[in-house]
Amino acid sequence: MRKVYSALAWIIAGGVVVQAAAIAFAFGGVINRVSNGDVVDKALLESRTAGGVGESGFWIHGIVGGMVLPLLALALLVVSFFVRARGAKLWAAITLALVALQVTLGFSIIDVPFLGLIHGANALAIVGAAVVAAFRVRRAPGSGVGTTETAEEATSDAVSA
Amino acid sequence: MPSRRDLLRCAVVGVAVATAVGAGAVAWSSTLLGEYSVMDMGGGHGTANGHTGHGSSAGSGAAAASGAVDGSDTVSVADLVADPDRAPDVRVELVARQGTIDVPGGRPVEGYTVNGTSPGPEIRARQGDLVEVTFVNESVADGATLHWHGIDVPNAADGVAGVTQDAVPVGGRFTSRFVATEAGTYWYHSHQVSHEQVVGGLLGAVVIDPAEQSATADAATDVTALLHVYGGQQTLNGAAEDEFVAAAPGTTVRVRVLNTDQGTASVWSDAPFRVVATDGHEVHEPGEVAGQRLLIPAGGRVDVLVRARDDGEPVRVHTGGARSVVVGGSLRQAQGPDDVPQPSESLDLLAYGAPEPLEFDPSQPDREYEYVIARRFGIIDGRPGNFWTINGRMFPDVPMFDVREGDVVLMHLRNDSSEVHPMHLHGHHVVVLSRDGVAASGSPWIVDSLDVHPGEAYDIAFVADNPGIWSDHCHTLAHAVDGLITHLMYEGVTTPYTIHGDAGNSPE
Repeated sequence: MRKVYSALAWIIAGGVVVQAAAIAFAFGGVINRVSNGDVVDKALLESRTAGGVGESGFWIHGIVGGMVLPLLALALLVVSFFVRARGAKLWAAITLALVALQVTLGFSIIDVPFLGLIHGANALAIVGAAVVAAFRVRRAPGSGVGTTETAEEATSDAVSA
Repeated sequence: MPSRRDLLRCAVVGVAVATAVGAGAVAWSSTLLGEYSVMDMGGGHGTANGHTGHGSSAGSGAAAASGAVDGSDTVSVADLVADPDRAPDVRVELVARQGTIDVPGGRPVEGYTVNGTSPGPEIRARQGDLVEVTFVNESVADGATLHWHGIDVPNAADGVAGVTQDAVPVGGRFTSRFVATEAGTYWYHSHQVSHEQVVGGLLGAVVIDPAEQSATADAATDVTALLHVYGGQQTLNGAAEDEFVAAAPGTTVRVRVLNTDQGTASVWSDAPFRVVATDGHEVHEPGEVAGQRLLIPAGGRVDVLVRARDDGEPVRVHTGGARSVVVGGSLRQAQGPDDVPQPSESLDLLAYGAPEPLEFDPSQPDREYEYVIARRFGIIDGRPGNFWTINGRMFPDVPMFDVREGDVVLMHLRNDSSEVHPMHLHGHHVVVLSRDGVAASGSPWIVDSLDVHPGEAYDIAFVADNPGIWSDHCHTLAHAVDGLITHLMYEGVTTPYTIHGDAGNSPE
């Protein structure tokens, strides 16, 4: 379970990198279209072609951000209940809360563009929270308490796997 | 060896997970729609809020349809037809095909054509004519229909697959008959898998000329400007290039702008223009517009009057972001005049033109409904997503708007979501009474497609004078797919058609 937890946390952190890359690619496509003399208007936006070569960036950003990452963050929280490490539940919960905030911000940007400022900064917070979560369960056995926990965890892992 | 306690713990966890997964699967499958009738939507459609009682005006016979509800019995949408004994004045055959669309000035794209082109042929009729259109589906695999956007046709001719008819299969045909009662600019498009077929070009313009010319709308030249994006190319009348219109100096040109796209279009010019009609309804005493742009909702139409310059220099009228109608000047002289920067200020039709009495009194409505648009996460038909809701309810559990023929209906439209929604009511025209509490102060603003921006609240009213079952949905068609659709349901009207049944009906 620790491995699952750790893997989920790292995938979430990596997913945010994908998000940043995808949206930069998408807006690169928009600017490229405009630079070539095209006009981006609402009709083009709604026809899902405004991004030109970068259009898939919008698509990836929408699917990963609106679907994949929320599900992964939810899975992380569920898995955290089967992991005995200090702060595992807390950091999974923080990650999920930040992702939920991020999705809400993302859907509201069209109406309130200033929310984009928080959306960008919050992305880094998600990376931070996910990485902290990943490190929570990777901690090497240090204290006596930690050692027993690790042993118990390994036992239950073997059964449930 | 795991201890007994561990085994017990695993068993408990296993049962809990299995229960959760099972419950999730049951919940998910309960969202599957299967075959359904709009009659069953909205919890039997008797639960809509805000009844204020009915007047005794039912059965006044005001409807154009001949199959009016006779009081006690129910009538099928299929029987709400135009006078079957009357000979048509205009007869057209439209053949839909799936295939390549040639885009002059651009590259060809895959889509749908009508009589070999997209947009299809413009249908032209005179006010009062009976129009009979035979629609033939030659090769549109999903089936197709024709909906007469903005024309208050009898319900049987409304063309909504699964509501007013079955989708016309390949090799099939369907005849629509309606009287062109109101002059103006309209369009036809498929209402089967419409988010693909409309985007793909199964559409065309309809222009109904007035029985007698009006003074304000008197124009020497009349030109249609149909906007559509084909595969990422903005086009005007099907061509990815500007349209040049010959006009003698000092004469006026009526430009009929049709927004067949999925989002708001902007119209502007450095020459003053007048907005003479919205959605096929004349504006009363329209003033000159200068330094402002005019916004047209998706699905909406606006007729503007432009005067050719006395000095013979051409006038550029921007229609949508990328294309223009160039009026006057020597034809095809170079590229026409320079682009004009788009004004940031928009013309407010709430206070445009001069007031005139409405054809009905909306102050004592027989029905009063709310139509509040919001958004939340959920599952529709097994598909998870962030869906639009109507009055907080998600499709298909959305409210239905029950009316009786003759009712005056007041509707409070509000957009609590973060995106604009071009709301389109079939079969009726609504008059805008107020926006955000500010009463309309100009010419009666009469529309069938109305942009409701985030945070805006509109009060609109109409007379229920066209019996049937009428869709009331967002014309950013992907939003309709995502749940932003409901129906206006007349008392005593039923439909034999179903959605997702053997006929493969899928109206959105």
